Amino acid sequence: MRSRQKQLLPAMVSILALVALSGCGAGSRVAENGGGTEVPCDVGVPQGGATVEVLAYNSSAIDPFTNTMVRSCKQDNLVVRHEPIDFAGQLQRTQATLSGDKGTFDLVETYNFIVPTYGAEGKLRPLDDLFAKYKEKYGLDGLNQQMLDAMSYDGHLYALPMQAQVFTMAYRKDVFDELGLKPPTTFAELRDVARKIQDSGKMEHPVAMPWLASADIVTAYDAAMGSLGTDLIDSARNRPNFDTPAAGRAFEELTSLMPYMDPQVTTFDQPAVQQQMYNGDAAVSIMFSGRMNDLADPDNSQYADRIAFAPPPSVEKGGKQYSSLSVDGWSIPANTEVDPDLLFQLMAVSVGQEASESAVPAAYPARKGVVTPQNSPYADAANNAIKHAPPPEPYAATSLISNAITPTVAEVVTGRTEPEEGTRRMQETAAKILKENQ
Amino acid sequence: MMRKREFYSLVGPSMLVMVGLLLVPLYLTVKWSFQDVDYGSPGQFVGLDNYARAFTDPRFGHALLFTAGLTLVVTAVLLVGGYVLAAMINRLGRMRPVVLGILLISYVIPQVVGATMFSWLFDQNFGGVVNLAVSWVTGEDVLWFVEAWPNRIMVALNVIWSMLPFATLIMLAGLQGVSQDVLEAAQLDGAGPVRTHWSIIIPSIRGVIGFVGLISIMDILRVFDNLVPLSPQAVQLGNESLMLYIFNIAFQDGGQDLGLGSALSVLTIVVIVIMLYPFLRDVVKEARQQ
Repeated sequence: MRSRQKQLLPAMVSILALVALSGCGAGSRVAENGGGTEVPCDVGVPQGGATVEVLAYNSSAIDPFTNTMVRSCKQDNLVVRHEPIDFAGQLQRTQATLSGDKGTFDLVETYNFIVPTYGAEGKLRPLDDLFAKYKEKYGLDGLNQQMLDAMSYDGHLYALPMQAQVFTMAYRKDVFDELGLKPPTTFAELRDVARKIQDSGKMEHPVAMPWLASADIVTAYDAAMGSLGTDLIDSARNRPNFDTPAAGRAFEELTSLMPYMDPQVTTFDQPAVQQQMYNGDAAVSIMFSGRMNDLADPDNSQYADRIAFAPPPSVEKGGKQYSSLSVDGWSIPANTEVDPDLLFQLMAVSVGQEASESAVPAAYPARKGVVTPQNSPYADAANNAIKHAPPPEPYAATSLISNAITPTVAEVVTGRTEPEEGTRRMQETAAKILKENQ
Repeated sequence: MMRKREFYSLVGPSMLVMVGLLLVPLYLTVKWSFQDVDYGSPGQFVGLDNYARAFTDPRFGHALLFTAGLTLVVTAVLLVGGYVLAAMINRLGRMRPVVLGILLISYVIPQVVGATMFSWLFDQNFGGVVNLAVSWVTGEDVLWFVEAWPNRIMVALNVIWSMLPFATLIMLAGLQGVSQDVLEAAQLDGAGPVRTHWSIIIPSIRGVIGFVGLISIMDILRVFDNLVPLSPQAVQLGNESLMLYIFNIAFQDGGQDLGLGSALSVLTIVVIVIMLYPFLRDVVKEARQQ
């Protein structure tokens, strides 16, 4: 019996050590190390004090704004609380907190894709009156009008923009220079450039894009449609646009790039595309601007100093860029019991000039003129891309339709369904959603 | 003799926990399966609509087939592999705790973390050691993430990798309970190693093997987080497990088809009961005999 106990003890110790080691990362508070600054926070706290629960996912682009708010505005009679969470977790909690008569959170991070849906459902408080009231005090006229528009629905502002992401192209300048290539401005040029790199024998799969079948692929499809000048929905006629020529053309153009991409591209999210660039496996990648700074970081890759940036190409000559503008911001849930004036001021503090400047280059803040070539390696490319991206689609059903058609888009891109059949199904699904949400 | 008050004070808390954490969610799931449910709002009765949608969605059929196939194959491997490994470890001397400690690494690592690291073995972007080895031996690149069968094999290998230590550990405990006298008697009667295992040891630890089978089936039927890193294209490949399918329907991207999700959960419970029936029957039989 004793010998068995003797054997069990080291085994138990080993297991406990392993459990402890595997748990080391659990619960680490990424947000506390994610940038941000301390700024004056002269907000009027109601008598009796207040506790503000903040819901915002952790990323290098969002953390600076959250941290600025939490660090700067904690006072004796004001508690501002934020717990780290990932994006998927934020989506679910947002849904849950906005649903009941009383929510768990008082400030929520939202983005332009979802704002119209929640705005139409009356789950977010319109901010027009508060914006006008505090415009001067917090210099809100310094916010980019395009981003304010992106956060508006039906003429009302529902979120205060903090930062934006837009498709940006990163390419290997050394490879391009060696082969005498120029950054492509159209998909035809992109194919041409990719073919030349392939023919040179330098890379087998020179183009890298995040086309993850369960998520990113629909953003790519939407970007292609937008570049061809067509929204997912014809809002004037309240009908989907998947029976228009652009719907099929978008599929054609996307699949035309596949010979130049890794055959498993439909399993790649943005970190996987970054990894391709770090490894030197790809020479051109197009993804959201928030990922660009990492590519130029020498700690991440031996090729960091050979990376250059450019705006993304358009699908066809003269069209809008193949791009998507995603704007993040702060919203006030309609069901919060905390004073809206206090909440709005907290939001305004976090998107102030100083806070926005501290977020560069990890983020592209919503304040005009903050991102410059002096403080961000991809500034010129992103500034150009913001100007020429297809406009956001501020319609309540867009996010619902986008989610619903994702599996079909993936089936068409992976060649499991013919484009004609795919667009027919997408039209049917989207029409049903539009009818249900009239 | 325990007094009534003592009995209730001891049983009460666990009954409360069971009602709160098992019966209430089960009741709500069954109720919602007949409703159109939106977060935070009372559901609207829709009869059997959710069940009709579930049965007419080909994804449900694919998910059921994939999950059942994975469960059968992996459970069989776990029972055989767990037994063989346990028998080998049982013969070890001083090295036994070390081997056990190493073996349990995959069991204590959180599933999603283990599966992510496992996926890197097959992913060229992250080194892809297995990928390189297979390419080197066969001269062909296997597309582990976008082809259905290679992906199924990879998923099955990962589930085996993560669950084999549990099967081994329980089997080892069973082996240590086998009477030495019986084994020595078998040896004296001239039984070889294979005959001893087949005719003496396995029948005497039948209950333990059944227990491993029971737990394995329940765990594999609930496979979910492994698939997130290992099968990013699960829907298109037909490699969506029942749990992943339910998650995708009920929650993904802020979706909120909780009614259909609940109907699918009820159907999954039925499937689990059907698959566990042989093991449950044995357990009941054994309990009656005792």
